[in-house]
Amino acid sequence: MSKPEFVYTTYIATTPEQLWHALTDGDFHEHYWFGHRVTSDWKVGSSYQFAKAGAPSVEGKVLESDPPKRLSYTWDACSPEAKKERTSRVSFDIEPRGTVVKLTVTHDNLDERGKTLRDISGGWPMVIASLKSLLETGHALPADLPSTAAKETACAQA
Amino acid sequence: MRKPEFIYVIYIETTPEKLWEALTSSEFSKRYWWNTEVKSDWKVGSPFALVMNGAPTDVGEVLEVDRPRRLSYTFHHVTSEAARRERPSKVVFNLEPYGKLVKLTLTHEDFEAGSKLLDGISKGWPAILSSLKSLLESGTALEIPVSALGIEGVS
Repeated sequence: MSKPEFVYTTYIATTPEQLWHALTDGDFHEHYWFGHRVTSDWKVGSSYQFAKAGAPSVEGKVLESDPPKRLSYTWDACSPEAKKERTSRVSFDIEPRGTVVKLTVTHDNLDERGKTLRDISGGWPMVIASLKSLLETGHALPADLPSTAAKETACAQA
Repeated sequence: MRKPEFIYVIYIETTPEKLWEALTSSEFSKRYWWNTEVKSDWKVGSPFALVMNGAPTDVGEVLEVDRPRRLSYTFHHVTSEAARRERPSKVVFNLEPYGKLVKLTLTHEDFEAGSKLLDGISKGWPAILSSLKSLLESGTALEIPVSALGIEGVS
């Protein structure tokens, strides 16, 4: 594990399969990820991209894909400032715990004091809270991410 | 070295008043906190206790009460000799309106170096606060087996 890292754990009343679907399905993702849709075939080595209203916001490669237990991808945010930082990594661990599922999000390989570290530390708790709400109540959180002000994109459209 | 503390942020679709009630009412806490009653009259300087199935697990003193914005108490785990030997730590809840949501920030701090309790609370709080969010939003708390948290000595 490389420092600094960001780790966030929550418990959700759902199944591992539904949670996997939530992390990988474009329509579902767009719903709780405040308009950011994900696109990929989720094969190891394949690329993936987040896009909001067609504008790319995050991109990377699939590192691990073991449904419904573990998903991992590289993370390059598309803002010109974040593009200067090194490529970080996001991993999702999905573990059944009785009637609920434990989700652990680990974002590591980050630049010390970088824009990405700042953004994701504020962003993941919002995104995961919205994901949990959508799976449990059928509706995502009515809010927007603290850091979606970036209008510029330094990624090519997929 | 990093200061020994645990910080957890969670966004809940509720009001600060309802969240305050959830954090301070024993009837409410029993539902999302493994049948644990939160007991206090919530006046600064008053005693505070967590009582699980009739037996106190943690005791302390109320430090700050600023309804519905900030609540803090000292926290002394008393279920084992080793825990009792540690000095009390401190729990702080900050409640901030965030549009139609409330941002809840829990800070559990003031641990002594090498605290055994820090590992346990780091595993416990995400489960408790996840269940609290579920209860406030959907009306149903989570049934998370305590044994599944992976806390040493807890089964």
